[in-house]
Amino acid sequence: MIAALVVFGYAVLVAWLLPAVLTPLTESGSGARLGIAVWLTGMTSVLVSAGVAVALLIRSAVTGWSRFAEALCRSVAGTSCTPVVYRSALYELGLAAAALIATMAGLMLTWRYGRRVQQARRSTRAHAEAARITGRSDTPGVPEAARGVVVLDAVQPAAYCVPGRPGTIVVTSGALAVLEPRQLGAVLAHERAHLSGRHHLLTGLTRCLAAVFPAVPMFRHGSGEVSRLAEMSADDAAARRAGRRPLIEALLAIGTGAAIAGEPGAGEPGAALAVAGYAVAARVHRLLDPPRRARRVRLALVLTSVLAVLPVVSGLVFALAAAA
Amino acid sequence: MLGWRRIGDGVRGFGELEAVVMHRVWEHDSPVTVRELFDELRRERAIAYTTVMSTMDNLHRKGWLDRVKEGKAYRYAATASREEYSARLMREALVGGGDTEAVLNHFVAQMKGDESEVLRAVVERLAREPEELR
Repeated sequence: MIAALVVFGYAVLVAWLLPAVLTPLTESGSGARLGIAVWLTGMTSVLVSAGVAVALLIRSAVTGWSRFAEALCRSVAGTSCTPVVYRSALYELGLAAAALIATMAGLMLTWRYGRRVQQARRSTRAHAEAARITGRSDTPGVPEAARGVVVLDAVQPAAYCVPGRPGTIVVTSGALAVLEPRQLGAVLAHERAHLSGRHHLLTGLTRCLAAVFPAVPMFRHGSGEVSRLAEMSADDAAARRAGRRPLIEALLAIGTGAAIAGEPGAGEPGAALAVAGYAVAARVHRLLDPPRRARRVRLALVLTSVLAVLPVVSGLVFALAAAA
Repeated sequence: MLGWRRIGDGVRGFGELEAVVMHRVWEHDSPVTVRELFDELRRERAIAYTTVMSTMDNLHRKGWLDRVKEGKAYRYAATASREEYSARLMREALVGGGDTEAVLNHFVAQMKGDESEVLRAVVERLAREPEELR
């Protein structure tokens, strides 16, 4: 019983305190992939700890059951139904009930999570198919660079990818209107990085976790951070492929809905800038002013240590609790 | 009304043909028969009448096409215009209808807050230093 409580307490501690430690480390988006790995490890630690706590609870309920049966026998025999025997029997009964409730809750949450993931997958597949039917692709009017991409007729500039087999990249005609070829190349490189990096698995699974456990900071913050870091990781890939400047221009163009011309003075982005979002600004800044090398190395070292230490600490807690 | 929740179970490979057929139907102002569409399509590609028929039947089953019996044949019309479908897709993708957003990866997402000053400064900086970051 104590062992289960200790491990559960550890899960709560990690779930509530670790996000505060991780957030400043991954804020800059330096080492985006390492950051994703650390957040995923944190989330896994919480889930595994909660699972181990339930398992320990079940174990103590099962091992205590013989004592309960013994107490029951004695009380039925009528010779030794002392308060001590009574209390012990009640305790074992309570333990069994707690184990049962915890198991049921665990199963229910797992089921809800699984259903949510499945729903998301189904509606995503439906969206991809609807986009392929509604959009144009490889027809006159679609630029050479956008071959194999689904073009939706919509004024609003937007680009996104829908995972699946095959993955689909959707670009609106509004986006094609504001993007120069090099900028379009950067956008497509970004989306291809999402698809080939299978980011949808990470962001999809973590968002469903956050939806099932909205009150747990590890999942709530973690899902947002994983999405943000996945964007930055795709930005890194796109910058390597298409160049940083076209990527920044594309981010600004799509984010503001206005063409950002490569030539100075040619663009007039003024009024439309108001719609641009927080995420865009952070990503643009990161691309414009990457952290200095010393800081990058320091962050990478700290993140790697967290990555190495967390599973070890968790394992130690489990082992100590199980042995107690 | 514009339901495509049932589309997910479609047979792959038919997807491309479904798009071709839908685009044809959208181009017509009035409802069309399978025969009319088949006559148009076979001028451009090798295609069997039954293929066109089953594709249109699929699209009807999935909610893309409405049909009215006329004599021995059906006349098919789109349940919604292409613009309506595009708008609905955009809404779903950008606003995040239901769970779909959970797995869509946007190039630019989360339009929240107002950092126009910050971005304005970036645009000015890019304009001042056109050769930077090349």
